[in-house]
Amino acid sequence: MFLFILKRLVQIVPVILGVTLVVFLIMQMVPGDPAVIMAGEGASKETINELREDLGLNRPLHEQYLSYIGNVFQGDLGNSLKNNQPVMDEIMVRLPITMELAFFSIMITIVLGLIAGIISAVRPYSFSDISVMVVALIGISLPSFWLGLLLMYVFSVKLQWLPVAGWDSTAHIILPAITLGAGGAAIVARMTRSSMLEVVGQDYIRTAKAKGLKGHVIIYKHALRNALIPVITVVGLQFGSLLGGTVLVESVFAINGIGRMIVDSIRTRDIPMVQGGVLVASLVFVFVNLLVDVMYRVFNKRIDLN
Amino acid sequence: MSNVFQEKSPLLQVSELKQHFELKKEVIFQPKQVVKAVDGIDFDLYPGETLSIVGESGCGKSTTGRSILRLDEPTSGDVLFKGQSLLQMNKKELRSIRGNIQVIFQDPYASLNPRRTIRQMLEEAMAIQKVLPPNKREARMLELMNHVGLRPEYLERYPHEFSGGQRQRIGIARALAVNPEIIICDEAVSALDVSIQAQILNLLKKLQKEFDLTFLFISHDLSVVRHISDRVMVMYLGKVVEIADKSSLFNKPMHPYTKALLSAIPVIDETKRGERIILKGDVPSPLNPPTGCRFHTRCPFATERCSQEEPLLRELSATHSVACHFAEELFTS
Amino acid sequence: MEKEVVLEVKNLKTHFISNKGTAKAVDGIDFVLRKGETLGIVGESGCGKSMTSLSILRLIPSPPGKIVDGQVLLKGQDLVKMSDEELRKIRGNRISMIFQEPMTSLNPVIPVGEQIAEALRLHQGLSKKQAWDRSVEMIGLVGIPSPEKRAKQEPFQLSGGMRQRIMIAMALACTPEVLIADEPTTALDVTIQAQILEIMKDLQKKIGMGIIFITHDLGVVAEMCDQVGVMYAGQIVEHQEAKNLFNNPLHPYTQGLIGSLPKLYEDQEELQIIEGTVPSPYDYPEGCRFAERCPFAQDICIQKQPNLIQFDENSKVRCWKYSDEWQDSLAKEVVAP
Repeated sequence: MFLFILKRLVQIVPVILGVTLVVFLIMQMVPGDPAVIMAGEGASKETINELREDLGLNRPLHEQYLSYIGNVFQGDLGNSLKNNQPVMDEIMVRLPITMELAFFSIMITIVLGLIAGIISAVRPYSFSDISVMVVALIGISLPSFWLGLLLMYVFSVKLQWLPVAGWDSTAHIILPAITLGAGGAAIVARMTRSSMLEVVGQDYIRTAKAKGLKGHVIIYKHALRNALIPVITVVGLQFGSLLGGTVLVESVFAINGIGRMIVDSIRTRDIPMVQGGVLVASLVFVFVNLLVDVMYRVFNKRIDLN
Repeated sequence: MSNVFQEKSPLLQVSELKQHFELKKEVIFQPKQVVKAVDGIDFDLYPGETLSIVGESGCGKSTTGRSILRLDEPTSGDVLFKGQSLLQMNKKELRSIRGNIQVIFQDPYASLNPRRTIRQMLEEAMAIQKVLPPNKREARMLELMNHVGLRPEYLERYPHEFSGGQRQRIGIARALAVNPEIIICDEAVSALDVSIQAQILNLLKKLQKEFDLTFLFISHDLSVVRHISDRVMVMYLGKVVEIADKSSLFNKPMHPYTKALLSAIPVIDETKRGERIILKGDVPSPLNPPTGCRFHTRCPFATERCSQEEPLLRELSATHSVACHFAEELFTS
Repeated sequence: MEKEVVLEVKNLKTHFISNKGTAKAVDGIDFVLRKGETLGIVGESGCGKSMTSLSILRLIPSPPGKIVDGQVLLKGQDLVKMSDEELRKIRGNRISMIFQEPMTSLNPVIPVGEQIAEALRLHQGLSKKQAWDRSVEMIGLVGIPSPEKRAKQEPFQLSGGMRQRIMIAMALACTPEVLIADEPTTALDVTIQAQILEIMKDLQKKIGMGIIFITHDLGVVAEMCDQVGVMYAGQIVEHQEAKNLFNNPLHPYTQGLIGSLPKLYEDQEELQIIEGTVPSPYDYPEGCRFAERCPFAQDICIQKQPNLIQFDENSKVRCWKYSDEWQDSLAKEVVAP
């Protein structure tokens, strides 16, 4: 196990290199000159050129990239083109917010998804099963920003139960977390259902029945433990799309998270901010995946030992 | 006592065949784990005979069959067919030789392509081996169906429309289609009910006489083996422990494992039930076979020597070989 | 002196209803199991023997299966009519079952000791510690060395033979009155099978339970069983003491079955075969279900189904050959031109 974790940690280096390279190249290809944006409207050509020199934008590409990488490994993500403040500082402020949002969303995904999936699986093809599955299907199909706007309209504007936007109180978390977690919950529900149905048909469940075990013991102790194994993988994968989803949800609900930061920075061609944001997001993703893999192996010791 | 089949020169000669499988490494720095499924076996197969390979799960009998056909590439050793080395042939040469050595598998439900009719299957087999010009194949197919006891209209049907026994007959027809000299039967009747098994065994015997076939019959069922074999080879954990003509093996087994195996089989006739030797423990893992004689951990007669020195297969008579240090002392007739 | 009857099955019928029709998998089974006795139910695939054993504990997948008739009496109580709650108290407690595939019949993520202990806690009300200790004891009893260590392991760490021993330990932990063994050694190597059968016989002497042993292997029947019921197409066609069955099989199917077995200690040129195939459970014939394959079949066999009749004190057979009508039927043949 230890060696496994070590191996995975070592793999982070190529991830950093790969991500930064891709972002760097993409930002180069996007039209718009950062120096022009920084200098503002009506700036003279000389000002712009001076700015370009200062920012090091006239150096050859590979030099720009290599110096960037060198800084990254020292913890320096550069400065924002907009206000010249360290990118790292901005990220440190916003990251916890996004993490909080992600956490609550995953909680919703897991809890809602599992409950729905188990209800469905226990009475397959019944009314509750079919209705849960239909709702799940709708959940997967809805674009998250549309759902977000809809929820906002119903609960904040019309019913006025919840605040519209921002991130100041507990109440602020509810709608964004639901919006972000709903799609994942639907997927988890479907996965749990199909996994449970498969498990329930297995020989060892028949053995459990033959021992006279009670229904709920069979479901929760014997079936669920096995059924959850593939569900863990799905939840892990969900995290990836969750990070992407934060971009939309943070924009809709005006939350100052990393997602929104990246979107705004792309718009303003604030290259260091974009690079920094995407890099940090990628690292978070890699770590969460590692965590999921470790948990999977703990649940499923057979893989580790083989 | 000599084996009448051994008067001709052997069709197949297997020497020091080894089939090792490497397990995929989890992490770098871990020592390689190797499953020694077949670990150095020698035997000959003579024309017209039925040689059975018996043993329990993990002994390497099925792997031996697959190695001979190069369905898995052997790790070392050689297999000679009529003097030519099968293991050194290239793909093209091998393909033409394959027409001479055919195989019937255990699972009648998995070994037939569900998307092909019987006709297409037989047609394909004959086309690949270039058996007969295309215009003569129709007649041959009808002949084959007749030989295996299936109605001609069944040619148009798909595998799922047949029972297990019928599918096995189709497998036999397919093997026969290319006029092989050797047919390897890999647990060919193990998945069949007793009454169907009897039909297939009778059929195999009949076809052997009619077409002068040589069978390499792989099975775990000693009663079936008794019925169909001329000679029997017993394997344990990748090694041959005993090889003898049928009556010697069943009436005077010389290896403790063979004795235990025979005694373990439940028999209907009370008078034929001898002293049962119950072996202790489970079969050791082929990842880590015991030192010396592989059977020593379960052998009721094991000595110090058995754990250190591996017994070689040696001839007790022209038709009976054993790999045991103490064969003569233990079971003198 | 006859031993006490523990389980009595009367006219058990289990049918499977689907859009293909109704499959009469178990179609009127009667037998009696006595204390300390082993009853073998033998037959080929599709005859309904496994379904019979599952029906006793009502473990039939339902839908599409359903017990449509009959009684299963455990010392007088009818299991078919019992409530689910009552039945659960009997499962694993007074009647236990072990299955064919030891590789898949144990929960892969729960330590084997726990799988035994949970039955003990449930049925015998033992505390966690008591149940665990007894569980380790049972594991030792079935011949597994280092039981304390093994109890904490998960099934994948055990071989097939050991898993089957665990199944036996689990089934016998609450000292049941009946053990149903559904092909328990079919998936095991023959030397391991010998070990398992030995353990079962041993424990039967100690505990005294009746065993219903389902198998297709006549050799195992000869070794393990006191009584034997031969099943064909959902019915019992012959019921005899095991030691007599092989010397004097009554039913033509049994005769054919024994004849088609290759013998371990005898050379045979050709094996006897039974012509034809088993009828489909969706479409059984009106008369005797074996008639179309039977070398002795007469008109009466095709027209009317024979009942299971008492042949002598210890045997029953379902065949017109042994009835009074048979002589008449033959006579008719002779008379007709």
